[in-house]
Amino acid sequence: MGKSLLHTPEGVRDIYGAEFAAKQKIEERLAHVIHLYGYRDIQTPTFEFFDVFGNDIGTTPSRELYKFFDKEGNTLVLRPDFTPSMARCAAKYFMEEKLPIRFSYSGNTFTNTGNLQGKLKEVTQLGAELMMDDSVEADAEMISMVIDALKNCGLKEFQVSIGQVEYFKGVCSQAGIDKDTEQKLREFISSKNYFGAKELLEEKQVRRDYAKVLLNMADMLTDAGGLAEAKKMVNNERSLMAVERLEKLYQVLCTYGVEKYVSFDLGMLSKYNYYTGVIFKAYTYGVGDAVVKGGRYDHLPGYFGKEAAAIGFVAVVDDLMEALNRQHLKPELKEEGVLIVYEKEAFAKALVQAKELRSQGISAELIARIPEKSREDYERQAQTNRQKKVVWIERQGQ
Amino acid sequence: MEEKRYLTFALTKGRLADKTLALLEKVGITCEEMKDKSSRKLIFVNEELKLKFFLAKGPDVPTYVEYGAADIGVTGKDILLEEGRRVYEVLDLGFGKCRMCVCGPKEARELLKHHEMIRVASKYPVIAKDYFYDKKHQTVDIIKLNGSVELGPIVGLSDVIVDIVETGGTLKENGLEVLEEICPISARMIVNPVSMQMESERIRKILKSLREITEGEGKEKGL
Repeated sequence: MGKSLLHTPEGVRDIYGAEFAAKQKIEERLAHVIHLYGYRDIQTPTFEFFDVFGNDIGTTPSRELYKFFDKEGNTLVLRPDFTPSMARCAAKYFMEEKLPIRFSYSGNTFTNTGNLQGKLKEVTQLGAELMMDDSVEADAEMISMVIDALKNCGLKEFQVSIGQVEYFKGVCSQAGIDKDTEQKLREFISSKNYFGAKELLEEKQVRRDYAKVLLNMADMLTDAGGLAEAKKMVNNERSLMAVERLEKLYQVLCTYGVEKYVSFDLGMLSKYNYYTGVIFKAYTYGVGDAVVKGGRYDHLPGYFGKEAAAIGFVAVVDDLMEALNRQHLKPELKEEGVLIVYEKEAFAKALVQAKELRSQGISAELIARIPEKSREDYERQAQTNRQKKVVWIERQGQ
Repeated sequence: MEEKRYLTFALTKGRLADKTLALLEKVGITCEEMKDKSSRKLIFVNEELKLKFFLAKGPDVPTYVEYGAADIGVTGKDILLEEGRRVYEVLDLGFGKCRMCVCGPKEARELLKHHEMIRVASKYPVIAKDYFYDKKHQTVDIIKLNGSVELGPIVGLSDVIVDIVETGGTLKENGLEVLEEICPISARMIVNPVSMQMESERIRKILKSLREITEGEGKEKGL
């Protein structure tokens, strides 16, 4: 029986030892930067009512949520992400507040994804949300904070790609494209499926000049210079405003001095209607997907009764760790503390030393020496646990 | 200047790889090492252009690309539909053309009309399920087979099959026919989303020149 209990279910795992220390370190480094920007930690429950993460609000399809019932028969959900909870909190505790609120959080999230895709079902997310500030400076603060945080983790090569959903929406409404087609087109363009989009546009007989702009979007990864070109291609106000917002954002990012990490992708459209303005993703080598995702979601707090602008980002700590590992940029772990190995009769003496060390804030681990074990065994043990040194306490009178 | 990273291509073993290489050659991407058929190497390198190539089984190509083990891949649309991996599908290469179809004996045509429960054998359980559940709203029992799917209706394992049809020769010889067409299939080029951002310039240059060629060929054939 015993052995069969050792396995964890698919999609969850134990993290211990050096790996866990590294993970904590990365979380610390991310959180440190976020705190430097004046964000305050907040803790929300691991599970909430289904409706908080339901279809209208969340980004996770219902069948990927872990659901269960309470005694009254309410459907509860293990949180698949933090953003809806943050919006709920803002509405609940800061209903009358007019000044910007800055939240940061970290914790585990749960999604019931398909098996054998090599994806974890429980991951640690860490992020921040800035509410009630719809300025371009707020957008820039979020993005430069992401860049600082990633740099602080030790990442060197990464790219933050910025999009603006309104550019796409503007062209669609001008071209008179219906909702269903827009949704399909969104999928084609966001997956850079140029010919799929082309076929669809031809089938729906979308006017040539609009079709051309939409097709270009699938292929539009650009630096700031390309924005002017994107602007020339459209003549509707919504799209123009979208590009102008990005241009302004770029200027503020230049003031921050982070422009070299930034590029623009007007074809980046989230599959969900959740985002309302600027969206961004941070990419780096070693993992197949973005390590940071974020954007503006000005409608979301409204679901909870508080009309407020909001922008946020989330970093998936597990993916970030993977990327750092693959790029050989694991955080260095310091050796700390002392391993005290004592002979049984010398316990009192060992304890005096341990107490002394602990009172100085130095970690001291006590182990009684077993005669069968050699000194090397203990030294090896201290090494694995990254302890600075081994102290030997011998029998009195020797 | 910074050392350039290798761009890695995952190609589908067999005919598709030969056609892909021929196409890549037209845009100046060559791999001499790969032409030597007797070679037992697994990875082929073009040092000059900093490119790597390897061959894999079709269904594994999107997996390599999704995880970023390869930046670019070439495989059939059938496999992309079946595997549902998160990759950018950027180009229809226009070769490897065939159709995904529901096939069976003539008499089975009747079974597809009444939402009745039937048995479907296929190498493509996901495609079969999506088609019958979402498009036809018919409840079906899907049996996964790994090859010679045509046997299904012949030996009475299933009522119909879902499979790719190129010429229909095998079907005809075995007394089966195409009953319904699900979708056209051809070879597609896929790209890892991270590579697309990080190596955007190099990848887009390749895509642009390939697109010009494939679209040009389409026009020649009067499409």
